[in-house]
Amino acid sequence: MGIYKRLSISQKQIVWAWGLLAIPIVFYVVVRFYPTANAILLSFQEWNLLGSRNWTGFDNYVKLFSDPTFWKVFGNTFLYLILGTPSSLLLAFVIAFHLDKLRFMHGTIRALYFLPFMTSAVAMAWVWRWFYQPVPIGVFNNTLATFGIPQIPFLNSTTFALPSILAPAIWAGLGFQVIIFMAGLRAIPQTYYEAARIDGISAWETLTEITIPLLKPTIVFLVVFSSIGFLRIFDQVFNMTTNDPGGPLNSTKPLVLMIYDTAFNSFDMGYAAAQTVVLFTVLLVVSLLQLRVMRDK
Amino acid sequence: MTTVSLNNLVKSYGDTQVLHGINLDIQSGEFVVLVGPSGCGKSTTLRMIAGLEEISAGDIRIGGDVVNDMEPKERNIAMVFQNYAIYPHMTVRKNIGFGLRTSKLSKDEKDARINEVSGILELTDLLDRKPNQLSGGQRQRVAIGRAMVRDPAAFLFDEPLSNLDAQLRTQMRLEIKKLHQRVGNTIIFVTHDQVEAMTMADRIVIMKDGHIQQVGTPFEVFYEPANIFVAQFIGAPSMNMLNGIVKGETIALDNGTSVQVPTTKLSENQQVAVGLRPDALLVQEGEGLFSGEVSVIEPLGTDTLAYVKVGEKEVIAKASGRTPPAVGDTVNLHAAPEAIHLFDAHTGEAIR
Repeated sequence: MGIYKRLSISQKQIVWAWGLLAIPIVFYVVVRFYPTANAILLSFQEWNLLGSRNWTGFDNYVKLFSDPTFWKVFGNTFLYLILGTPSSLLLAFVIAFHLDKLRFMHGTIRALYFLPFMTSAVAMAWVWRWFYQPVPIGVFNNTLATFGIPQIPFLNSTTFALPSILAPAIWAGLGFQVIIFMAGLRAIPQTYYEAARIDGISAWETLTEITIPLLKPTIVFLVVFSSIGFLRIFDQVFNMTTNDPGGPLNSTKPLVLMIYDTAFNSFDMGYAAAQTVVLFTVLLVVSLLQLRVMRDK
Repeated sequence: MTTVSLNNLVKSYGDTQVLHGINLDIQSGEFVVLVGPSGCGKSTTLRMIAGLEEISAGDIRIGGDVVNDMEPKERNIAMVFQNYAIYPHMTVRKNIGFGLRTSKLSKDEKDARINEVSGILELTDLLDRKPNQLSGGQRQRVAIGRAMVRDPAAFLFDEPLSNLDAQLRTQMRLEIKKLHQRVGNTIIFVTHDQVEAMTMADRIVIMKDGHIQQVGTPFEVFYEPANIFVAQFIGAPSMNMLNGIVKGETIALDNGTSVQVPTTKLSENQQVAVGLRPDALLVQEGEGLFSGEVSVIEPLGTDTLAYVKVGEKEVIAKASGRTPPAVGDTVNLHAAPEAIHLFDAHTGEAIR
């Protein structure tokens, strides 16, 4: 203990900090960084999970980029992102903005919005799948029938299936986004609004000139967070289209589902790894782009 | 120019009344300071004038018109907040110009106004900075600039100096006073600091528990306080207050001594409070009003404050700064007859 005793207080603090950090660092290296590196390696190889791993160079990538299914799936993934992120954020903001002004039953309503976030995605997907069934089972089609509107083949149409699957995914994340938005709104000092009232600024200008600019850090966080969520969508799709995962005709298949299929149905681990690397790159690029675009100048 | 008048102004939150009928007439161009301890209703009064709080009863007139049901922007007032309320994401120029958003002036006229105001407030070099690059005093000036740029009928200040350090507060106090002398708008200023009230106001309104205690010039509230509360609130250190009973020509004080005062307005056996400002109670040679032992001294440079035990009670007196008494000394305390304030012990009202 002689060496330790001779250290200054700040040196001792550093020793303890590194000592405590060592555990998560080792953990992360073993369960995150090593498999990541291994997956990148695997994407240049061929492996069926049991046999030996053979080098194939860029074959997996060449195969991937010339595979029309991949481009369909790639498009789907971006569709989930492009439809999901703005609509969920807009919806969450509108709810949070009005809920913030509400005193009556405030806690109850907030809890109602948060409930789906705590619910199992699988259970939720099955309930929504049931909602989408044709007459006389599905709630939505029954309602449409009551008003004499033609049936919508929600999950059986290549047009409607993707938005139909997206809806419960948006709904599930809404509670979380509402809570974060409300925290952001609460952090804006009331006097900013009072000053604006005295200056006669309209409600719309107050929103666009004061509230939204001051909410920017919150918005950046939610955009990045929810984009990552939508790019990695899987549970809802898999559970709502179990008969033909990602169907009909691959119209709802996201990248994660394709990876799952390739790896655990075709046992083409090298090809799956190449897809994973592409997904990883997309996530990285999208997140960095968003952070760069929305960073303070 | 604009007068502001409050007529029987009442504010209630549910069953709790916090302002109990305020009456106040503010002249055009006057600098009025509302002062009182926290919870006295001064900020509520100001916010009602601004239109940020509903009026429960009574009315407010600005320039002769009842404004009770007008939106804040229709009242043609501007307000400066304690936390400045300047927008962190806008430059100084945009912050100042924000007050002109709704005005019908042309772009050039607006720019001219912004430049004029920033010139007066010495903000010209800072116009393109963001608030986080400014000092506390500069932020305060931006907030004042945003208020000035609209050329409002009246300025409302809600404790604008509370977030500044002592030195800056003294400086801004002077700047606001100079600004008032220069632009001459009506100013209603809320503070809990009696020094700010004394130094800046044309007239001071002292409030407590939702009632006005006294309205008067700094001279009046200091030398002719209306009641015990005003006497002790204004002036630092606080006025010495000794209870006593009128006995013939003298008042027998409960510290065992007695003072001789003109008793024409007093009745025999009336319970009174005798008030003496520490400034007017001097440690001097020779037979005085009281004598007692010094328990603590506080040197202030020019003067020394001496805490003197007179009978059972301690009073604060002023002694010389150069030759202060020592702790344990027995000193004589003198006061001029006109420096003695008399109050009714039951009602607290001044007896004059």
